[in-house]
Amino acid sequence: MLNSATTSRRPLGAGSTLGGLRTLVRADRARGWLFLLPALAAYGMFVLWPLANSVKYSFYNWDGINPAKWVGLSNYGQVFTNATLYSAIEHSGILIIFFSFLPTALGLALAAFMRSAIAGRLGTVARVVIFLPQVVALVAAGIAWSWLLGYNGAINQIFYAPIDAVLKLLGLGAAKQAWLGSFQFALPGVGLIGVWVMLGFCTVLLTVGMGKIDPSLYEASQLDGAGPVREFFDITLPSLRQEIGVCLTVTMIAALSAFDIVYISTQGGPANQTMVPGLEIYLLAFTNREVGLASALAIVLVVLVVVCIVPIQWYVNRGNES
Amino acid sequence: MSSSRATAYGGRVMLVVLMFWTLLPFISLFTAALHPVGTFPTGLSWPVHPQWQNFINAWNVANLGPILKSSALIVLGTVPITVVIATMAGFALGQLRVFGGRAVMLLFLIGLTLPLEGIIIPLYYELNSFNLIDTRMAVILPLIGLFMPFSVYWMRAHFVNVPTSLTEAARSDGATTWQIFWGVQVPLARPAIISLAIITTIWTWNQFLLPLVLVPTNVDSRTMAGALGAFQGQYSDNIPLLAAGSLLILAPMVIVYIVFQRQFIRAMLQGAVKG
Amino acid sequence: MGQKVQPRVQRGASPVTRQQPGRVRRGLGRAAVPACLAGTIVLAGGTGIAAAARAKTKSSTPTFAQACGTKAVTLTGDFETGFPDIVDLTKLFSKQYPKVHWKINTNAYAEITTNAPLVLAGKNAPDLVRLPILEGLVKDHLLLSLNKYYNEYHWNTFPSSVWAQNRTNGTQLNTGNIYAWGLNNQVTGIYYNKALAKKIGMKGAPKTLAQLEALFAKAKKAGLTPIETWNAVPTGLTFPLQQLMADYGSVTAINNWSYDKPGATIDTPANVRAASVLDSWIKAGYFNSDATAQSYSGAMSEWTASGSKDVFLFNGNWQAGSFDSSQPGKYGFFAMPPVKAGGPVAAIIGPLQYGIAAKAPNPSCTAYFLNWVSTNPAARKLNVEQGGAPPIGPTKLSVPSAKPGTNTEESIQVGVAVAKDNQGMGFITNANGSIYTESETPELQSLFAGQTSPSAVMSSIQSAYKSEGS
Repeated sequence: MLNSATTSRRPLGAGSTLGGLRTLVRADRARGWLFLLPALAAYGMFVLWPLANSVKYSFYNWDGINPAKWVGLSNYGQVFTNATLYSAIEHSGILIIFFSFLPTALGLALAAFMRSAIAGRLGTVARVVIFLPQVVALVAAGIAWSWLLGYNGAINQIFYAPIDAVLKLLGLGAAKQAWLGSFQFALPGVGLIGVWVMLGFCTVLLTVGMGKIDPSLYEASQLDGAGPVREFFDITLPSLRQEIGVCLTVTMIAALSAFDIVYISTQGGPANQTMVPGLEIYLLAFTNREVGLASALAIVLVVLVVVCIVPIQWYVNRGNES
Repeated sequence: MSSSRATAYGGRVMLVVLMFWTLLPFISLFTAALHPVGTFPTGLSWPVHPQWQNFINAWNVANLGPILKSSALIVLGTVPITVVIATMAGFALGQLRVFGGRAVMLLFLIGLTLPLEGIIIPLYYELNSFNLIDTRMAVILPLIGLFMPFSVYWMRAHFVNVPTSLTEAARSDGATTWQIFWGVQVPLARPAIISLAIITTIWTWNQFLLPLVLVPTNVDSRTMAGALGAFQGQYSDNIPLLAAGSLLILAPMVIVYIVFQRQFIRAMLQGAVKG
Repeated sequence: MGQKVQPRVQRGASPVTRQQPGRVRRGLGRAAVPACLAGTIVLAGGTGIAAAARAKTKSSTPTFAQACGTKAVTLTGDFETGFPDIVDLTKLFSKQYPKVHWKINTNAYAEITTNAPLVLAGKNAPDLVRLPILEGLVKDHLLLSLNKYYNEYHWNTFPSSVWAQNRTNGTQLNTGNIYAWGLNNQVTGIYYNKALAKKIGMKGAPKTLAQLEALFAKAKKAGLTPIETWNAVPTGLTFPLQQLMADYGSVTAINNWSYDKPGATIDTPANVRAASVLDSWIKAGYFNSDATAQSYSGAMSEWTASGSKDVFLFNGNWQAGSFDSSQPGKYGFFAMPPVKAGGPVAAIIGPLQYGIAAKAPNPSCTAYFLNWVSTNPAARKLNVEQGGAPPIGPTKLSVPSAKPGTNTEESIQVGVAVAKDNQGMGFITNANGSIYTESETPELQSLFAGQTSPSAVMSSIQSAYKSEGS
């Protein structure tokens, strides 16, 4: 595919005047397409074409084997009326809190407090460590965390006392339990894994962002007698607009398309309490062989991601232009 | 002064807590891995007689050799092609400023937000029609396509910042576009290319859904992460062995990461901010 | 005839034309278990309807060369993790027929349930597969009909009831073509940890349900876990539930439901009562509290761990072989006691099912292997010793005996007792393709969490059953 897609080997004339260069540049602007083609071909064949097919399948009733039957929009109707499918979408909304909002907020707080600490030698090591979840397969994180959150797991062992106190306060039952098997706590449990995956990334990103803020801004505000809290809201937060936008975007995509963690840790249970669109698509399409319905859910998911991302991007870009 | 010192200490303590929290799953896996087979380890407990041979047993029992080889082959099939064609595209968009480049970039940007679940179903039927299901190609080809949005964006961001005067100077010396690309631009782009290679290597290694769907039976043709899913199914009645196997499967990428951590973190942050 | 290689059918634009009712399924394959009971049979006589496919012409059985050809052949198998017996059988077969090699993948039952359609439809469809629920696979034309081999190998000499749940028309069991073959006979009951049972004063198997419940209470009082189970994946609570259903109701009614007999309902007073008793066990804290987070293998791991506090385990004889070999003498096995002493003893009974993929490269050689497992003396002996269960085969062949005092022997006795009382049941999870993942398991998870009532469990399973069957 990469061989001689670019065939501009013919020698150029000696006339390298400025005007000659201009024509050359213009020729390049056309010839450049040959450089673009392999990437476009790979992208078109294995992303755009399947995406178009997803849309197509979503209008059919198809078991993947027998001839498909056109059903119009009825698959989409089912996505929004079938309780299990709809609740899967709701669950991913809750996961956004854990995958996106919590890591971003916690990351901001941690970055603000640890800014000086992370600059030192400890910080170099810490940065490598807290970025580790970005390198580890989510499947492995799922295995490790289902073990951690089990009845005999380390979470119960280490955090028994504080959890017990909080739960008693809220009247929410026994402190020692298998978290991923509980109706109330399975989804937050999956969310907790998401916090673990995303927190380091957001913290480091926001710390780096804070390092870029012009120190004179702080000096000026200190002269005005502003305290650290006002500084944070007046200077730090607005300056980090772009980093916060990135944190939210990356983590929201991860929340909405969650699959690996759920597949490994709960398989959607108990009683569908942790069912998410990604897993539902997989099970519908490949286990239940309802390809059309699965595709409709897939398209809804794609649109959902765009709907969540666009406002954030708009917010970030507006800040850049002003 | 004392208050800022207190903040500094507080920051350091927090950093240590955050590190512990991040390492907790690994520590837990590690202590579980050292327990005798047939026991049910609880929480973080150090076994009386650490069973180091569990790692060797897990390696043999799970037949990790072939899976390691398979992952390496998938990386070798995916990463070089991804890097080369993304660099070419980035050059076209960032340096040559091709006609319609903005529209093309926008097309790639759509892909940045696309969840894999959105296309996994047609991908299955597409690769089935190519007769590639259950082969490594079934992972390699879609991955190249899926990596394009980020990779092209990443390389374009590099080439946009290279002054076009370089290209023009080489051009006036009579170099062809092809020669300029390989002779001038690629050597300059080396840091960006290396970062891209590292990131895509790690992403390939950790890919789970693609091998799960597209390599349904030949576990030995999957990526490490894909194999780990099967591994869990097989050994979940043997916690110490499962833990040991999981750590072995994680090890190669953690090593790659530690060696290249500087490039990886920088690239992840820049890539994210630029994206 | 030489070996027959099935042409590979291209998927997508498929040659098969058949309209299908569009159905929405909810829930989905949350992974199942080793629930090897893919159905019911009644060991001796009973409700099993005589096999429909008859060997009309008395032909001679294919020879090895006819079935497998004369060249080396590699058969592929997709089996369930934790069942070494089938793997050992393939090894023994290769020893007797060195031309045959095996390539075997093993997966947890949960994965098999989820991935079977994908695997069977794929390019590398295996020859032999451990079957999850039959009906859906048959409906999607993913399995090969075994009628031909039934005739060729005279499988009509097997107890006729064996075939009842190996045949389906894609929606109902016990009717249509044969799509499965049973490795051995499965039977459910209760295991107990001998040392812990002694501690709580158990002397011999309980004779009544009340005695059993008293033992649970004693175990609870002693700080032990009365019953170990798994509820993250299907069947962990279905076993005690169905045993209780048989105690309070009739096996015939349960079988009618399992076989999709028109008008059958599970929402009866007897069954609601059974669910209430199960609920009372849950509320009394008899089960391991992490059950809903526990997979089958996780529960087995807790049960067998050294220092385990688990006293009882509702499970089947598929575990007997491994208990006998890895922890000999540690456990005992008895049948679920009836409500009244001396009453009939019931159990869920069924063949451990395997099938041949519709796209299997070597179907005839695979069928030869199946027949060999059913009839070869060494294979039958291995089946008992490793599999812990009596093999299925021609009635005239004697069943190899198991070592006295083993779980295998005890479970064979339970099977005999159940057969004598004619109390074999089909497993309610197999009533139709997805009832257990879509309704039974979520309902029992909800019951365990105190989120629903016993009567609501039964009525909602019934309504899922009706919408599925229609």
